[in-house]
Amino acid sequence: MEKAIVCACEDVSVHDVEVAVGHGYADIESLKRYTGLGTGPCQGKACTVPAARLCAKLARAPGAAHSPAPFPVAGQPPFRARPPSSPTTLAHYAFLPLEALPPPRAAAPHKARADRTRQRTEPHGAPAKDGAPSPALLAGLDQPGLPLTSNPLPERAEVVIIGGGIMGLALAYQLAGKGIKPLVLERSYLCAGASGRNGGGVRAQWTTPTLIELAKESIAFMDRFAQELGINIWLRRAGYLFLAEDDATVKRIEAGAALHRKHGLSTRVITPGEAGALVPDLDTSKFLAASWNPDDGVVFPWPFLWGYADGARKRGAQVETFTQVTGLDVEAGHVRAVRTDRGRVVCDRVVIASGAWSPQVARLAGIDLPNLPYRHEIASSEPLKPFLGPLVSNLGSGLYFSQSMRGEIVGGMGDPLEPPGLNQSSSLRFLTRYSRALTELIPRLGEVKFLRQWAGCYDVTPDHSPIVGETPGVAGLLQMSGFVGHGFMMAPAVARRMADWMTGAKDDMFDRYALERFAKGRLEHESFIIG
Amino acid sequence: MATHEQPDAVHFTLDGERLAGRASDTLASALLRAGTTTFTRSIKYHRPRGPFCLSGGCGQCLVRVNGVPSLPACRVELKAGMACERQNGPLGSVDSDLFRAVDFLFPGGLDHHHLMVQSRLLGKVTLEVARRLAGLGTLPDRPAPERQGSLRAVPLVVIGAGPAGLAAAQAALEAGVPEGAGEETRVLVLERNTSAGGAARLGLAGLGADDRGVTEQAQAARLAATPGAELLFRAEVVGLYADESPLGDALLAVRFQGRLLAVRARRVVLATGGTPQPLPFPGVDRPGVYAARGLLELFKRTGVRVGEAPHSLAVVGEGPELLLAANALLAAGYGLAAVIDAGGDAVAPSQPDGGLSVRRATPMRVRGNPAAELQVEVAGKVQQLRCDAVAIALPPAPLHDLATSVGAQAAFDQAVGGFPVHTDERGRAWPAWLFAAGTAAGESGAEALLSGAAAGRTAGGEAAALSAAAQAGGAAVA
Repeated sequence: MEKAIVCACEDVSVHDVEVAVGHGYADIESLKRYTGLGTGPCQGKACTVPAARLCAKLARAPGAAHSPAPFPVAGQPPFRARPPSSPTTLAHYAFLPLEALPPPRAAAPHKARADRTRQRTEPHGAPAKDGAPSPALLAGLDQPGLPLTSNPLPERAEVVIIGGGIMGLALAYQLAGKGIKPLVLERSYLCAGASGRNGGGVRAQWTTPTLIELAKESIAFMDRFAQELGINIWLRRAGYLFLAEDDATVKRIEAGAALHRKHGLSTRVITPGEAGALVPDLDTSKFLAASWNPDDGVVFPWPFLWGYADGARKRGAQVETFTQVTGLDVEAGHVRAVRTDRGRVVCDRVVIASGAWSPQVARLAGIDLPNLPYRHEIASSEPLKPFLGPLVSNLGSGLYFSQSMRGEIVGGMGDPLEPPGLNQSSSLRFLTRYSRALTELIPRLGEVKFLRQWAGCYDVTPDHSPIVGETPGVAGLLQMSGFVGHGFMMAPAVARRMADWMTGAKDDMFDRYALERFAKGRLEHESFIIG
Repeated sequence: MATHEQPDAVHFTLDGERLAGRASDTLASALLRAGTTTFTRSIKYHRPRGPFCLSGGCGQCLVRVNGVPSLPACRVELKAGMACERQNGPLGSVDSDLFRAVDFLFPGGLDHHHLMVQSRLLGKVTLEVARRLAGLGTLPDRPAPERQGSLRAVPLVVIGAGPAGLAAAQAALEAGVPEGAGEETRVLVLERNTSAGGAARLGLAGLGADDRGVTEQAQAARLAATPGAELLFRAEVVGLYADESPLGDALLAVRFQGRLLAVRARRVVLATGGTPQPLPFPGVDRPGVYAARGLLELFKRTGVRVGEAPHSLAVVGEGPELLLAANALLAAGYGLAAVIDAGGDAVAPSQPDGGLSVRRATPMRVRGNPAAELQVEVAGKVQQLRCDAVAIALPPAPLHDLATSVGAQAAFDQAVGGFPVHTDERGRAWPAWLFAAGTAAGESGAEALLSGAAAGRTAGGEAAALSAAAQAGGAAVA
């Protein structure tokens, strides 16, 4: 039978859409990510409407009431459009006068609780009477769409995990393997936060022993992820190449390589010539030396979450998307319940795994976290035939880029002027800075076209190390945040150790990275932060 | 097809073969003129593909041009000496690519999520194979030439010079937008096509200027001659961003003359119109299946008709668009092999227009490369309809993406056939500086004009007030 193609750019068929909806990836953002529709050169101009029409038909089909999603299509928003609206070359942006473009600005102050309540009382996706967008949009979040399930939440759960990002889902999987069946609450679709917005880089090249060990264990787990969780995350171990532009950075990577070798990594410092042999199109006059670990790699982020979510569910955990946490009930110094827009869940323990939103959630229990959210922008190019093996990063500018399994050049670059704030909007300034830095290193990328840009938030702690473990003053409230843009690659090991620790194992990581370290002045500095 | 050399012939090459087009051609029209319908192979199943929308709104006609990968042939203006190469035919050629075997071997589709998950070793082999097959084009041959961009500021930008956009610009000028700082332009109209008129140029009854007596071209010419108005053609807005600098509220990224132009504006009216939509049924992605409006656009601009003479089309569509398009195609010199209403439970067109016979049927499959047969099912029976090409006539989907990328709301509307941008009665969307009108806002016909005028009036008035306040209060105005 010949295929009925819905998305010609990515060869997505009617059958693929039906399968995705059947698996529960039925909201338009999940449908896009699971099938790939709308991620090609036309960016959804010729497939979003056919897909919506198809979903409307599926919803009307007999038996649709039994599918995981009732799928009320009318009134649904499209998936969030990303600039540019048609593919545009890096060179177009690189030659803009950067100094004339506006600097990044602080996002509007975020009123967490009021916003959350309001958002739910108005129908999702339906325009408010004044035409104003939902507060989620103001914060640069995607429109959440209509809630896809109306099942009641359980009245009781032993453990409630707030945040369906990689940390929360991996923890749910590990806890469920130990007989604890947690409830995971995600305010949007899976992949809505930083876990679905990163470049997929995974590396063991860190400067603190704990992070090196966490990364090593995590990458080993990713290597067998498909067999254990039944979905491909396409771990491609083609190495990480850190470029050093000045003598001070060369000294840093030399010290780093020595530490890495102590931990059994094969990191070595190589010359520009050697780096040029690894990446033939690299302009080797732009750096002095490079740190090279051939065992680091890149994964495809989305299935990493789906795999953990499915695995956790199969083990008895419950993962609820489109569910907003509105309050935490604390009595006599102990957390007792989580309040949501779908009801209250009594529980013994609550884990805050909400990434950059963790401080807001912690505040619901009266706890102040020192984490600050910082926007990081990222862009993806048109799909090219493979030419770039490793992930390349410039430690000086924070530029990083790699070629995805689909052939896109995916990368980003931090901005020293970026103010803190929950902001996921895109900027023209980023494309200009990023395309300049990228085409300086690989000039032949100039005529390559950007397909889309987006942004996510790093969850940044004062010492760039995570916050895990107990919360002083609120028993049963556990922290699992502050991963500064690299939680994605640490999650398997952090979650494994967290589950062990929550079920009684001793682990000094939960003392060393506990929240109280900030009050006691025992900081753990990590300096290999990029992006 | 075209064997007689024209006096205005423009020579170019495709995969090394010398071909001739005309000065007015796009690369797509020149290739179609020369009888080439397979432009590329699809990314995953290596299915043959050719142009569909012919208006830059799909990804089916990407060709490597002068060493630059994946350019949409329908948007590339033909130049003498262009060296064009088709992409993604790694085994054999784009015309006969052996990788098409993937398409046949996996008739139900290749589920990449769960492919070979049971074995670590097979998984690694799969990864290596998949990696090698990924991607469409190869790296550009050389670095990009320098193309210095620039920045300017204007009080009001109108995106699109179709009926709604022109109405907005006219209303804004009448609302008295004052001059911007250092610029004489008060209203800047950005049109990505080579001429004004949008959908009204296509000869669809009820949309065309003939119904009102003044052509959009004449309207545009008059507008362009008005002091304070500036009309740029071949100027495509590719990004819309919020800007909080004292100079403007919006920041637009515009591709113009091979460069990027950044434009700051107080107010923006989005009148981007719509984009053709496909109808997913088996084989509809084949070469030789086109959007009806794409064929009209192609003919108006270049005089090219697709398919072998007598250019007999099987037109498949739904709703009023089906008859409008069929009649316009007839007027453009196409024959009609069949007009198929695939509307399912939608209301059928009551009166076949101009002697057209419209049949209610379910489209089942397109066969042939290029498409030469449409199979339809009527009352349980499959019929084969011979044709020279297939045209899909669905209402164009509102182009909402510039608006929704900055947070404007849009919601699915089955009657409109897409996601129109939500506005209030004056056309204001969100953020407050953004207005939407015409098809992009779900309005058509006379309503589109009214929505353009309303948005232009309000946006123009506000831009005027803001500019006046800025002149009075200096940079203190935010």
